[in-house]
Amino acid sequence: MAIKQQKFDPIEDATFQVANKNRGWSQKAREGALKRLSTMGMPSRRDEYWKYTNPTELLTEKLSVSPVVGLEDANIFSELDALKIVFCDGVFNPDLSDDLAAENIIISRLEENGDLHWAKNYYGLLEEKAQRPVSRSLAALNTAIASDGALIHVKGKVEKPIQILGIRNNTAEAILHHVIKVEKDCSITLLESGPFAKRLNSVMEVFLDEGASLEHIRAQGRDHDRLAVTHVFADIKENAKFKSFTLSANGMLTRNECVLTLSGDECAAHVAGASVGDGKSFHHDDTVFITHDAVACESRQVFKKVLRNGATGVFQGKILVKEGAQKTDGYQISQSLLLDEDSQFLAKPELEIYADDVACSHGSTSGAIDEEALFYLCSRGISKNDAADMLTLAFLAEAVEEIENDKIADIIVEKISAWLSRRRN
Amino acid sequence: MASFESIEVKDGVDQETVDAVREVGGAYKYGWETDIEMEYAPKGLNTDIVKLISDKNEEPEWMTEWRLKAFNRWEKIKEPKWSMVQYPEIDFQDQYYYARPKSMAEKPKSLDEVDPKLLATYDKLGIPLKEQMLLAGVETADNGEQGERKVAVDAVFDSVSVGTTFQKELKSAGVIFCSISEAIKEHPELVKKYLGSVVPVTDNYYATLNSAVFSDGSFVYVPPGVRCPMELSTYFRINAENTGQFERTLIIADKGSYVSYLEGCTAPKRDTAQLHAAVVEIVVEEDAEVKYSTVQNWFPGDEDGNGGIYNFVTKRADCRGDRSKVMWTQVETGSAVTWKYPSCILRGDDSQGEFYSIAITNNHQQADTGTKMVHLGKNTKSRIVSKGISAGFAQNTYRGLVSMHPKAKDSRNYTQCDSLLIGDKCGAHTVPYIEVKNNSSRVEHEATTSKVDDDQLFYCRQRGMDEEEAVALVVNGFCKDVLQALPMEFAMEAQQLVAISLEGSVG
Amino acid sequence: MLEIKDLRVNLEDENKEILKGVDLSVEAGKVHAIMGPNGSGKSTLSYVLSGKDGYEVVGGSVKLDGLDILEMEPEERAAAGLFLAFQYPVEIPGVGNMTFLRTAVNSQRKARGEDEISATDFLKQVRERAKSLQIDAEMLKRPVNVGFSGGEKKRNEILQMAMLEPRMCILDETDSGLDVDAMKLVAEGVNALRDAGRGFLVITHYQRLLDHIKPDVVHIMANGKIVKTGGPELALEVENNGYSEILSEVA
Repeated sequence: MAIKQQKFDPIEDATFQVANKNRGWSQKAREGALKRLSTMGMPSRRDEYWKYTNPTELLTEKLSVSPVVGLEDANIFSELDALKIVFCDGVFNPDLSDDLAAENIIISRLEENGDLHWAKNYYGLLEEKAQRPVSRSLAALNTAIASDGALIHVKGKVEKPIQILGIRNNTAEAILHHVIKVEKDCSITLLESGPFAKRLNSVMEVFLDEGASLEHIRAQGRDHDRLAVTHVFADIKENAKFKSFTLSANGMLTRNECVLTLSGDECAAHVAGASVGDGKSFHHDDTVFITHDAVACESRQVFKKVLRNGATGVFQGKILVKEGAQKTDGYQISQSLLLDEDSQFLAKPELEIYADDVACSHGSTSGAIDEEALFYLCSRGISKNDAADMLTLAFLAEAVEEIENDKIADIIVEKISAWLSRRRN
Repeated sequence: MASFESIEVKDGVDQETVDAVREVGGAYKYGWETDIEMEYAPKGLNTDIVKLISDKNEEPEWMTEWRLKAFNRWEKIKEPKWSMVQYPEIDFQDQYYYARPKSMAEKPKSLDEVDPKLLATYDKLGIPLKEQMLLAGVETADNGEQGERKVAVDAVFDSVSVGTTFQKELKSAGVIFCSISEAIKEHPELVKKYLGSVVPVTDNYYATLNSAVFSDGSFVYVPPGVRCPMELSTYFRINAENTGQFERTLIIADKGSYVSYLEGCTAPKRDTAQLHAAVVEIVVEEDAEVKYSTVQNWFPGDEDGNGGIYNFVTKRADCRGDRSKVMWTQVETGSAVTWKYPSCILRGDDSQGEFYSIAITNNHQQADTGTKMVHLGKNTKSRIVSKGISAGFAQNTYRGLVSMHPKAKDSRNYTQCDSLLIGDKCGAHTVPYIEVKNNSSRVEHEATTSKVDDDQLFYCRQRGMDEEEAVALVVNGFCKDVLQALPMEFAMEAQQLVAISLEGSVG
Repeated sequence: MLEIKDLRVNLEDENKEILKGVDLSVEAGKVHAIMGPNGSGKSTLSYVLSGKDGYEVVGGSVKLDGLDILEMEPEERAAAGLFLAFQYPVEIPGVGNMTFLRTAVNSQRKARGEDEISATDFLKQVRERAKSLQIDAEMLKRPVNVGFSGGEKKRNEILQMAMLEPRMCILDETDSGLDVDAMKLVAEGVNALRDAGRGFLVITHYQRLLDHIKPDVVHIMANGKIVKTGGPELALEVENNGYSEILSEVA
């Protein structure tokens, strides 16, 4: 599995980093991750798990420093009143961030020194569990050498959304690792946006206790040179609810992995994505792995991709229903709208089911814009461009509707509309 | 869909299913063996064995070379492990690669000369090798029309073809239907041109193995413009112990021709697993159409998962010509392990491929089956309907690929994969690959997994059916789309098989 | 013919009593109607009588022609002559209506030790009975209840009843979802089956069905019990005054 890099070996580099800097309470977890990583090796195109996305670019060393992106451009949620946690060049920036002290929530950064921290027992835990049945080496690499991250402990009702924001100044690479723990019956809305770096490796580990809920809304855009690999891991307990939505625009290579385990009865997990891509260099990959390991749980995956000018969209989604996970309701849809001849959609929607009292389904479609619908709209006096935009937005709607907060959903729709109108001839 | 020809299933057939269950009592019906004197090649596989098989078949040198090349390659490659089936390591050296009844040492010149024991075997299987008789199960159709459907049979017993019926009548229509060993001798130009052209020697581990050691199989050539006057069929029977069956089938439908081909297979009950690795190649030229139907009923192993056939099959149709059409229909109820993906290469413009499948696994059976639809030509169409039923401790996987090449403009695919689970110890899995590389093509994939609906079962039972009848009825309903794609004589057998295969899965 | 004594039933999953001691007996040749507000336990009674899973009988007995049916499987009850016309007939994709009917008829005949019906006789009978219910050949060919309108489903239930010739018929809210014409047709089908040897239990929320299927006895059910029994005039009382008045009267 390991591939030989001529000059740069990420594992060697990670070994050096872990050995030469003691990171206090997270050190042990980092050493464990490094060990896993050494056994697994780095991914290559030959791995079934990387069948449709070439990981090479995510592994090489040399990156030219890319344009600076400031706070204004990064924060697409600026009209919302949120508590901002800002990372610049992969490091927490207290000056740009809001005061992290707030009611019912404890926020700290990964790079806090000392040997004791509540996150000690959580950091890297879900990443480690998620290394079976498939290796996710880039996540292990992240656990080993993450430069910073947000550690969020929710202990009650949090009024404002919490926002993780990334900007960049002069570094090409950021490796961030966030840990979010939501206590019993508590809830949080978590926003994430901004070009953190030209190359981003981000891991978010989410622990939802009984009856807890998290709504995660993420926007990836504005950075046309983005190379990103992200992992969201979540462990969802009884009656808890996990929701995650990602809007992706632009960028070059983006691989968003979401690995969820429904481990308590009657919990729910929804993960959705809308991605819009333009040009041959756009390659967007959504890889989702949902494990049902409890009774009467519900999961939903809704992924929509609009692709043009030779863009590539990838969807790999799996529902695994373990033995005994009866009354499972699993739904998955992946669809692509190909706006021209050269774009492509590659999908592998999987079901693996070992319990009988289940209702699981998946659907996948790919095709061009519906000419009849287009004609119908035009015949009512709508311009062809407007009609095409309307149909494209309608196509993406099922994914956007997964966002519960209407205000946030409006912002997302607005961003997609703007993206579409910028691309008119 | 409207343009696809569909064949009506006789009304009331479901009732016969139910009757069949009662009659058969759940036992594997074909588990007996024929006591007949056999001759074997020595156990194991090496160049000498390959040469021996070639020699037994009195093959020309080019064929021997072809086999040896395949063998050399096979020695260098590894068995694939990506499928969701698990079985103990196969010792390829602990098998016989050639076994034939001694009475077949000299090939009978006509069916009259065939060993009566062999004739009796096929008779007992319901496949009479006499031309005046028809395939068992063919009855008068509902509309009162006399069932005058002739079916020509090529009967393969372990490593050799026993005989082929209706050869003369077919010959007068210009159709060649014979064993592949005969074709290599009699029609070398056709075999040379087409053998390995759809499934290359290098295709995969089992196909390479088959290329080296195939002993017999069927050959069909339908000349331009000819509609084959009857259904053709091959009946495969494994009888000898510890013997692998490696058959090779080559079907060529020349321009504007049509042929419907049926395949059936059974084997005796044995405690040890047996290997079966076949290759089927179909060449479909311009405006030609081929229908290929299989009812696979190899011994599935006993209730505890002992014995059974390991079935590794490569089947592929190459729609070379414009407007060519191929339709695969399979009912997979047998075998301990099934690894099989009948595929269509839609090369010609406006060509069409269809795949209809029922795969039933019970007890400890495992099946990993599906299809590949590779769209290369413009305006090509494909349709996949897969029904997987899993019961007992069985694992049932649909694995498929739909690929739209950049040049396959205006093409369409529709895929429907449904899985049904009976009991909480079995598994049902769906692994589709969808690759769309142009935007004028439309691909639709739908899959569902559920258990047999309790309300449907209760409704049936309130009307007086017992649980097993109710399950058989509901499952047959679930499979209807595929059963309808089968020729009538197979549809009835298949419906019975559906019920029989699920025996003991409820209650 | 049907004797229900102090029948007490819980929902299997919850410890909740739904039927709290139902006493009822239906004589051969008679039509009994059960009326009652939503949630009174009417449909539960029909499911428990026919043997659906999910209910736990905690007390009482049910006898059909002297035989205890509570221990029987659903198909055994059917063979014993119990028929339930479902409130929501189940759709069974892929299974032809004719095939279904023939399988059911023959299963019951076999269970009773009778010979199977011949294909010709069966066809003749179905066609005859389907005609009077205005069920055409097309409907007979289609899969069981799949894509049927509400009226078609209910007519199909009555056709099954006619073919299976049960001793005891239970009609669960057969009028729900029917317009006046469809209801008339269904009622005619039911009336045609009335004879001295057959009992009927008609469960309904509204009186209107009873205009067409004249009951001999009317029971009012509320909160898991029969609270009042009377003649056909009781149904009219419900129609005119509503349930609340009757209920407050007995309470």
